[in-house]
Amino acid sequence: MQHVVVDPITRIEGHLRVEVTVDETTGTVTDAISSGTAWRGLELVMKDRDPRDAWAYIQRICGVCTTAHALASVRSVEDALGIAIPLNANYIRNIMAATLTVQDHLIHFYHLHALDWVSPVEALNADPAKTAELQVAVLNAYRLDLKVPEEVNTEAYPHDFPAATPQYFASIKAKVQAIVASGQLGIFSAHWWDHPDYKLLPPEVHLMAVAHYLEMLDKQREIITPHVVFGGKNPHPHYVVGGVPCAISLTDGNAPINTARLAIVDRAVNMARDLVNNYYLPDLVAIGVIYAKAGRVDGGGLARERVMAFGDYPLNGYSGTSNGGGYFENLLVRSNGVVENFAQGVEKAVFTPITAEDLKSPDIISEGVEHAWYEYPESAGKDLHPWKGITKDKFTGPKTGTPTMWETLNEGGKYSWLKTPKWKGKLCEVGPLAHYIVIYTKAAKGQLPDPTWAEQMMLKQIEVVSTVLGVPAHVWMPTMLGRTACRCLDAQLAAEVNKFFFDKLIANLKTGDTTTMNNEKWTPDTWAPECMGVGLYEAPRGGLSHWVCIKDGKIDNYQCIVPTTWNACPRDDKAGHGAYELAMMTTHVADPTKPLEIPKVIRSFDPCLACATHMYNAKGEEIHIISTDPYGR
Amino acid sequence: MEKRESLWEAYLRRGFSRRSFLKGCVALTSLMGLSTDMFSKVVEAAETKPLPVVVWIHGHECTGCDESFIRSGAPLASDVVLSSIALEYDHLLSAACGAPFEAHLDETIAKYNGQYILCVEGAVATKDSGVYCMSGGHTFTHLLAKAAKGAAAIIAYGSCAAYGGIQAAKPNPTGSAGIEHFVGGKPVVKVPGCPPIPEVMTGVVMHVALFGSLPPCDADGRPKQFFGNRIHDTCYRRPFFDAGMFAETFDDAGAKAGWCLYKLGCRGPETYNSCGNLRWWQGMSYPIQSGAPCIGCSNAKFWDEDPFTSRLPQYGKLGDVDKIGAALGVLTAAGVAGHAVASIVQRNQRENLIDEDHHE
Repeated sequence: MQHVVVDPITRIEGHLRVEVTVDETTGTVTDAISSGTAWRGLELVMKDRDPRDAWAYIQRICGVCTTAHALASVRSVEDALGIAIPLNANYIRNIMAATLTVQDHLIHFYHLHALDWVSPVEALNADPAKTAELQVAVLNAYRLDLKVPEEVNTEAYPHDFPAATPQYFASIKAKVQAIVASGQLGIFSAHWWDHPDYKLLPPEVHLMAVAHYLEMLDKQREIITPHVVFGGKNPHPHYVVGGVPCAISLTDGNAPINTARLAIVDRAVNMARDLVNNYYLPDLVAIGVIYAKAGRVDGGGLARERVMAFGDYPLNGYSGTSNGGGYFENLLVRSNGVVENFAQGVEKAVFTPITAEDLKSPDIISEGVEHAWYEYPESAGKDLHPWKGITKDKFTGPKTGTPTMWETLNEGGKYSWLKTPKWKGKLCEVGPLAHYIVIYTKAAKGQLPDPTWAEQMMLKQIEVVSTVLGVPAHVWMPTMLGRTACRCLDAQLAAEVNKFFFDKLIANLKTGDTTTMNNEKWTPDTWAPECMGVGLYEAPRGGLSHWVCIKDGKIDNYQCIVPTTWNACPRDDKAGHGAYELAMMTTHVADPTKPLEIPKVIRSFDPCLACATHMYNAKGEEIHIISTDPYGR
Repeated sequence: MEKRESLWEAYLRRGFSRRSFLKGCVALTSLMGLSTDMFSKVVEAAETKPLPVVVWIHGHECTGCDESFIRSGAPLASDVVLSSIALEYDHLLSAACGAPFEAHLDETIAKYNGQYILCVEGAVATKDSGVYCMSGGHTFTHLLAKAAKGAAAIIAYGSCAAYGGIQAAKPNPTGSAGIEHFVGGKPVVKVPGCPPIPEVMTGVVMHVALFGSLPPCDADGRPKQFFGNRIHDTCYRRPFFDAGMFAETFDDAGAKAGWCLYKLGCRGPETYNSCGNLRWWQGMSYPIQSGAPCIGCSNAKFWDEDPFTSRLPQYGKLGDVDKIGAALGVLTAAGVAGHAVASIVQRNQRENLIDEDHHE
């Protein structure tokens, strides 16, 4: 047995440490620890602030999934105050959300995750002419032509299309060669490039992927422009409770949004579709096919047992989530629910919906702190609903080493700044994979009446990928590869969602409605003295929930339960391991001295640790409503 | 010490022409906001200075600054990361992780002792010996001190590294602070903003990389070329302020017409940043242009200068904002000076209010 520590895990957001015990004779991981090693106390910073400012503070949880927390925040405050936002505001927020999803997934695949699958060193063995041929073959075989039923296609031809010429790939190869020859490897330094996994793909796939890594590094900035137009900047665009700040006028000379500004958004919408359809998805499938055919369908972990999603993209007007305002009844993708036992086949899988009432129930969503650096008083019970949460820190240090110099963490005791969130006392995996498993299962069980175009597209995507990989959905989906693949499918869907809501925005503007703000409950004198709300968002990393309690016009408590908290949480003595830990424990490690598979399976979740660490009260006082963490995307 | 490569040598090695090298220098000259007569200096610097090594470390942060950096339009992120600097250590982009990655940091620090640029993103968590921000089994305070020791220059990227940022807002649960006092007395270039504008971020590191010296800074350590103006002074909506034309609520007629957002809480009058002149996405927009009042995200204590959407306290002796705007519209010559006075008065009043709040 070998004890392996990987700290820091890079190419993620935030500070994450993992420790695994590997049986080097079989490559089996017998135990695994996932530890969030930093927390900032942002929820505590929220106390006594103006709820109308909450989005600005809490958005700073994460600059990678920027916008995610701002959106969940304004939704939570609007739920508490009972504010229905105008149609234009809903459409613009959905465009910003879907834009984030496309861009975030794209960056994750090419810049955070790709170097787990492809290597610039292997690219040096590629033949540029053969790489050009490969690019053509990949485009021929793996472009999935799935689209929203669109009003009008404003793009004359695909402006962003992969080059498939030997000269192009020769120049990329020369560049990589020059970097390697210089000895200054920069971002490519010190990695396990001699790991056997890098031999799975032919050199030409490596060269093509390295070229696209560079191209996408420069392109990603161009598809996020809807945030700049509607929110003024990115990262961290601006929001407002009650609508969106970007007033629209087609008659004034200096309006924030006019036809010219909308044209910038239109261009970004088209570009995002091109980048996903012509680069991301074909590249993903080209790599995935080889891994699937090599039988590399491990790393499933908790996804095999239990996944959860919230669903998203409110279609039209609604006035709240937990207040009976119709949020769940009005979604483009109705993935709100839990699926259990999916790996045993969809027939044996069990689907349970999540409703507005469930959010308020004390028994559905709760959190425990058995292995987190917090403690509950004995009278409080083992697990607490977020609205009854208590946060009292109890840093106990590592098992060996000192509090400021860790050697190994204490798997038998406390070892992380993340709490352990639960659904009906059980742990769940969240993320695009969960989102897709829920829709697939609901449809198979006849619980998805009148599927929307988006839900139909998701089902079609799963069908096509299952055919291409030659493996049934319940086999390929709950795996490391499936997690990475479903993120890509989600990007393709989000690119179409962008187009869908852009068309709806234009159609609504045509009616003469340019309203972007509901000011009726802007001033605190219109608010109830005490109220609480929940804001949900199916963020790039999975189901995100913000919980706010407002008292006398100020935030009394604020809590976020974030996707990475669901996934990266420490174990629970009764409920078992969280998603990261179980995923590591179902992953084969070829060589414990170069445990590439470990950060690889962790990155298949797209970790976002700044989001996941908990609030903490320095005096150990009881905090009435919440206490968890934020983060997500 | 081994000889290190200059930008010109890098161009030669990569097979680029002298012409493309000079074009690159032209772009850099304008990027750094330098006049064209500085062009020859840029060329000289690029030809003779070695390709700089950059170490980028993360404290208490959200990675938004890293993300902003890779959004740079000129230079493009790929050009910076692969052709202009050697980014030897960065949690976001580096391929490696774990022990080999940490060992590479130590090797880099030793090999390029006294030569590398240290970029710091995020605040220092000081409470309880720094146990609230651990990486690689060590505290961030330990990492910062280690990396700062041999750095040729230290850049504090973002309001967290510059001033402590969001986690330092009251009640500051982790005792977070800016890095200034934790780098062994070395000068720190502060590049505040939440996050800073992408081209400001690449511009500062390229200045250090090209000239081998810190950019000219103000008394607070901020590069003058990017933080020399208040947003209010460069705001395209300034004429509406001077004319007394304001949006009173979000989405009212004034908001649709793009009038001044002062009454909705805009912090432009007291915020030093390049949003008004450079703008975001090379001129595409900035919050005010998109109808959102500035929250002053490059100011030292802006998180505790809330609520953001309230208008600033009344001008006091100077009277109501409408009257001031109208008066200054007439007395244009006195406008700039008058606003400078006004914003100081406002700031003092706001700080008084905050103090009162704290002493409640």
